[in-house]
Amino acid sequence: MATTTMSATEETLVGMGQIAAGGPPKKMKAVVGSCIALALYHPRLKRGAMAHIVLPVSAGRDGTPGKFADTAIPKMLELLKELNAPAPCLTAKLAGGAAMFGSSGPLQIGDSNIEAVAQSLRAVGIRVAGQDVGGTRGRRVTFECESGAMIVESAGQPTKTL
Amino acid sequence: MLTTANDNVKTLAGLQELFGSATHDASAAMCRWTDGIITVTLDEVRQVALEEVAVELAIGDEAMTMVVMTLDGQCGGGSIILMFDDMNGRQLAASLLGREVGTDPEWSELEKSALMETGNILGCAYVNALTRLVGMDLRPSPPYFIQDFGASVLQQALMTQAAVGDDLLLCDIAFRRNGGKLDWRVVFVPTPGLQESLERSLHAAPQP
Repeated sequence: MATTTMSATEETLVGMGQIAAGGPPKKMKAVVGSCIALALYHPRLKRGAMAHIVLPVSAGRDGTPGKFADTAIPKMLELLKELNAPAPCLTAKLAGGAAMFGSSGPLQIGDSNIEAVAQSLRAVGIRVAGQDVGGTRGRRVTFECESGAMIVESAGQPTKTL
Repeated sequence: MLTTANDNVKTLAGLQELFGSATHDASAAMCRWTDGIITVTLDEVRQVALEEVAVELAIGDEAMTMVVMTLDGQCGGGSIILMFDDMNGRQLAASLLGREVGTDPEWSELEKSALMETGNILGCAYVNALTRLVGMDLRPSPPYFIQDFGASVLQQALMTQAAVGDDLLLCDIAFRRNGGKLDWRVVFVPTPGLQESLERSLHAAPQP
């Protein structure tokens, strides 16, 4: 599911596999572990989109576009285009890709997610303006359309602003 | 895997029965471990859309204290996640250790150990029950103690299911003290392989 809104809704929770897009005063929020919260932003027009990416590649599998790195980015570009924010001038910020059960634990997917997002961004020529990825902690991520700031909170750690 | 709506309802009902039996055994183990104070009951086996998981399970965006165990076997495995808010976790640890509730912001090794052992006992009870009920070997991992966002931990446990579909199967299990529901929970997430094996064993079982 993807949502594009320009309403006065202050905060939109972006669930696994979802994409949200909009402009100020919208804030988009996601809690991620091994998933990636990816925001694309047009600084002059103040239009942004955030995806909660779950897995690296779709490989023809069914699923919402936001679920996979290789399908999320084209969908985000489409939603931003609908908001009159074209691909040139967009920048990216991302957070997540942790190994929640430790680097030697089971179900490792964080690193593959980080690499797949980086590769997909390179493919469409979007510059990464900030990132907080990897590690073994979950992240609560808030993206503000007004400023383009991505605020990243980790349990027991100082808050970072990208 | 689940197919038509009718199959779906039947299969969920079968899985509910199967996990109900396993939970009965897990509850007996928990009752012994806590001197008869705590039991567990199966609230529901349910299918939840990927994007709705955190909302459906009412897992907010606050940090929680969790013990995670993974299960591994030839036909698949799964993850068991015990979830508490910090105070409830500490209360359980204190009651198991026969001490006052700790006030130090950092958990002591003894408190962590008490909670991990709770996860171990519960996890092993499920492993033994599922092994007996469906005739497959499952091996539990050591328990991990994690203090983090509940949704972050749950999403990693859901990865193997998310890789093959958008509807996720979860078992929601509640803790009870003297019959009253506590604000603690256990979520069991089978891998697609274990889910298929469980469904096969349901269909192979003689019909009443």
